[in-house]
Amino acid sequence: MTTEESEIKFDRSLLGVENDIGQYPVTKEMIVKFANSTGEQNPLYFDDETGDKSQHGSIIAPPTFCNMFVSGVTRPDIKLEFGDVSLFAGQAIESLSPVKPGDTLHAKTKLKDVYAKTGRSGRMVFQVWETSFANQDGDTVALVQESFVKRNRRPR
Amino acid sequence: MTSTEIYFDDVDLGDEVGPVERIVTDDQVIEFTQVWGRETGPTRFTSREKAQSEGLPEAIVPGAMNIAIMSQLITGWSPTVKLKKLDVVFRSPVLHNRPLTLKGMITDKDIIDDDPTIECDITMENEEGTPHVIGKATVSLPTRE
Repeated sequence: MTTEESEIKFDRSLLGVENDIGQYPVTKEMIVKFANSTGEQNPLYFDDETGDKSQHGSIIAPPTFCNMFVSGVTRPDIKLEFGDVSLFAGQAIESLSPVKPGDTLHAKTKLKDVYAKTGRSGRMVFQVWETSFANQDGDTVALVQESFVKRNRRPR
Repeated sequence: MTSTEIYFDDVDLGDEVGPVERIVTDDQVIEFTQVWGRETGPTRFTSREKAQSEGLPEAIVPGAMNIAIMSQLITGWSPTVKLKKLDVVFRSPVLHNRPLTLKGMITDKDIIDDDPTIECDITMENEEGTPHVIGKATVSLPTRE
């Protein structure tokens, strides 16, 4: 840990602690609607015949499907004592195993990292949350990492 | 979706992926938010008035939907592609019913843990070429052997 990082004040007891955020039953209708609404062209994600003939034995969800469940998740307040402007900085999605109709996904989220950077607009503190999705067999199917940045409002 | 099968051996640094032109309609966003199930009543994603009350110019496309569309640039490139990871940064809101251009460029190619892997920088831009979303895709491709 650098001196700058050790100076960031937040509830460090939350680092690495997994929080259950819910279970999500996956239906064929959800997968097909997700595919339709996003203009998906690959029939593996919506066409039964293609899915049945595939190595998966059925249609599967597009690789970013789990990301849909992450939006709007309520997370613990890390009591960060810095900044008055909060922004969404970015997102990374890792697709590890196929998600199929009939799966039930169990999601957990944890605070992965908190770090500071100094840029042109001054000091910023980033908090990184990682949400994992496991299916009913306990296999992790996807990891979604989200970064949020806090900084001080610029003087007018 | 292209039917051309692309293999690791075929790809080189600097190769381009796309471009692909897309427009996200009001109806698509409404359908997406219905699957999403978290939005009730008018939101910044479905109502121009609500979006404008939050300081946005118009209703915007949800971030999760933008990422799904970004991923299709890769998964639609070839049926041999496996998208392993997609890492994105949102630069500006994406508005409904506007032409969007998605494109990518191969920036790295390596065998990682016996898995032929490439990295591809990707962007979603508006008509003026201003990026809405930028990112990096990590992709697995089979070899010809």
